Amino acid sequence: MKLPSHITSTARRRAESASDRTPIYAMVGNPNSGKTTLFNALTGLRQKVGNYPGVTVEKKIGTTWSQHGKPIQVIDLPGAYSLAARSPDEAVLRDVLFGRREDTPQPDRIICVVDAANLERNLYLVHQILDLGRPVIVALNMMDMAAAAGLKVDAAALERALGVPVIPCEAVHGKGLVGLRLAMSRVELPLARHRWDVPAAVAPAVAELQASLTDNEGRAPLVARAEALLLLTDFDTVRVAGSRPLSARTHEILGNWRQRWESAGTDWAATLIRSRYDSIGGLCQDVVVRTREQGPSRSDRIDAVLCHSFWGWVVFGAIMTALLFSIFSLAEGPMDWIESQTTALKGLVNGAMAAGDLRALLTEGIIGGVGPIIKFLPQILILFFFVGLLENTGYMARAAFIMDRPMSKVGLNGRSFIPLLGSYACAIPGIMATRTIENAKDRLVTILVAPLMSCSARLPVYLLMIATLLPGDAVSAGKKAGLMLLMYALGTFGAFGFAWLFKRTLFKSAPPHMIMELPPYQPPRLREILRQMLGRAWLFLKNAGTIILAISIVLWALTTYPKHPDPAATPTEQIAHSFAGQAGHLLEPVIKPLGFDWRIGIGLITSFAAREVFVSSMGVIFGVAGADENPTPLRDALRAARWPDGAPLFTPLVCLVLMIYYVFAMQCMSTVAVVKRETNSWRWPLFQIFYMTGTAWLFCFVVYQMGRSLGY
Amino acid sequence: MSANTQFPLCQLPIGATGRVCHLAGDDSFCQRVREMGFGEAALVTKISGTTTSLCLVNGTRIALNHSAAMSIVVEPIPVLGQVSGLREKR
Ligand SMILES: Nc1nc2c(ncn2[C@@H]2O[C@H](COP(=O)(O)OP(=O)(O)OP(=O)(O)O)[C@@H](O)[C@H]2O)c(=O)[nH]1
Ligand SMILES: [Mg+2]
Repeated sequence: MKLPSHITSTARRRAESASDRTPIYAMVGNPNSGKTTLFNALTGLRQKVGNYPGVTVEKKIGTTWSQHGKPIQVIDLPGAYSLAARSPDEAVLRDVLFGRREDTPQPDRIICVVDAANLERNLYLVHQILDLGRPVIVALNMMDMAAAAGLKVDAAALERALGVPVIPCEAVHGKGLVGLRLAMSRVELPLARHRWDVPAAVAPAVAELQASLTDNEGRAPLVARAEALLLLTDFDTVRVAGSRPLSARTHEILGNWRQRWESAGTDWAATLIRSRYDSIGGLCQDVVVRTREQGPSRSDRIDAVLCHSFWGWVVFGAIMTALLFSIFSLAEGPMDWIESQTTALKGLVNGAMAAGDLRALLTEGIIGGVGPIIKFLPQILILFFFVGLLENTGYMARAAFIMDRPMSKVGLNGRSFIPLLGSYACAIPGIMATRTIENAKDRLVTILVAPLMSCSARLPVYLLMIATLLPGDAVSAGKKAGLMLLMYALGTFGAFGFAWLFKRTLFKSAPPHMIMELPPYQPPRLREILRQMLGRAWLFLKNAGTIILAISIVLWALTTYPKHPDPAATPTEQIAHSFAGQAGHLLEPVIKPLGFDWRIGIGLITSFAAREVFVSSMGVIFGVAGADENPTPLRDALRAARWPDGAPLFTPLVCLVLMIYYVFAMQCMSTVAVVKRETNSWRWPLFQIFYMTGTAWLFCFVVYQMGRSLGY
Repeated sequence: MSANTQFPLCQLPIGATGRVCHLAGDDSFCQRVREMGFGEAALVTKISGTTTSLCLVNGTRIALNHSAAMSIVVEPIPVLGQVSGLREKR
């Protein structure tokens, strides 16, 4: 393609200005091609990496350094198969590249990360990117996987054919980084020798749109041409919040052309795709050599079992059971150790200080509130180890495959299961991950039910209740795990049930088509898993040290003041008299039918900030009773708690009902905030609070009243 | 079964290979299938699955749900070795 002179001169001007301005590179490529791995290696950041498509769903900017020590900005982007975005995550990539995002500078240069083991399909996106006429570097990643698949990919030949630097890499082993950095440091990059003619019949439409995009949207001519090509073949343009809309004039031209083709019955989209693939096919002939005949690979053989309609389920069930069982059996020792340490610390403070409000703040407020939470760190670590293992090996995508059938029964498809599975760890990344879902209605349904999956913040609540319910070491880990499994199952079935209901009522739509790539299996990278675990552990501790600490202190103050007029009042009388006690009493009529008293009510209120705060609140409220000389574990304090008439408060039934309450109730501020951002309105988070907490109340009411009438 | 019969991908037996004849379904789905290199004339091998299919296309494993597999019409190819012969016949 011969470039018009005004374009080459802008390119030169841009290249010249690049020497004094920080250049901005964008990482683009197919999903799971290793963009984030490369981005992390370049910038030293630790963005999440995982072996399934759709790990990155939002742009992330980092800084790296050129060969000469000059800063370079790099933007990591979600993966996409094409610039014609079908889902919100792909739309992020498109909008950043076209400068449609207000919060992101338009990148001047592009690194196309390409999976060498799957060159032809990966080059499709590259082909579209080259249309943009911006300097491109191709990072030919996963050279090891290509070799393992019996492919010899000739980087030099590809470089000659495309006319842009092609750097062979193995991002995960740090190979090729030097070459890539060298290329990125070049002041001038060659523009692609990119020969591809727009089919003649579509050319007038492209020209007209291009002119409008240049005039009305202020695009550079080549970008305008690429965008015109895209707009013509984009059927329903996925828009994300924060993107600038098209101008009215462009919109009108686009509508006219579409109408004209529709009435003529021509399929321009298919023609354009075919002509791109033809040009790519010619290119690949000289670049890829197959060294041996292709048979079923190792991944195919594993998949024959793991995706089997019977054995797949057996394996899936075994993994889930192993996860829950190890949460109970492996964590016991470290948990007891942490508990004994906090108890000892409490004793130490008690011994060293004179009785008074300050000592009470330290022992009851701070240690009493934060200690019970920290105790659950081992379990959180185990959970995230398993999650990391699933994400790293590539099993995540298989789980989605297996779950496609049950998901289709409720009107969703397997793709929705990855966000749901992610929500077992935390609903926030889970809800973000719904950006990979193409159908807007399905995405909304998935967002609405995702918080029903039992997240790691519920773990401390469940564990405390199970410990209170099934005391001591006499009960086997299996029984406890069974009860826990029940809670997880309840949440999961709840999510499915509501998805079914929503798909029948609010969001009626035909079951959409699912097409999803399953990546090759990779050996788990323990360092990566460990890093993710530590990241989560740090977040957990940071939370405990900031939010939970603050809430504990505030709650302690609210339970301590105003002081009971009688100095000899028992701790319970004191709390009842305090501000928190008054609030709890206000709530009591609503929750008494569930078997909860006003003290549990205080926990329900405070844990709206985050579910695990319930545990620390119980620590502050019930911990005081036995705090003075010989502190007891929280579960024993709970078991000793009584109603005013002397009946035990935490009966097994109440513990069960409390767990059920936490399975369903929407008790997380951060989730509300994320749902608001992702749905761009307050309607859905409010609806979610209403339906989830309503269900929780109803369910608990039925279970408690039935349990009571059965004599429990 | 003659090589000319055409049926949806979901009916392709496990282990068999077929060639994509045409795509049904809505425009944006067809576009994505083509963009993923799964368009007309692509060869596809079924690895497993009954309602949800797992297929091998161009060396990548692609999962399709039932409705997606219904919209891709294939013709079976008896033995992989005869691929070139069939292509000439077309
Ligand atoms: N064998 C091998 N694996 C790699 C290489 N580069 C990355 N990986 C692995 O490929 C998987 C995907 O890597 P990511 O960096 O998350 O891919 P991504 O392109 O950011 O994916 P999305 O964000 O989902 O679009 C991870 O399991 C990596 O460990 C490589 O050169 N060789
Ligand atoms: Mg990524």
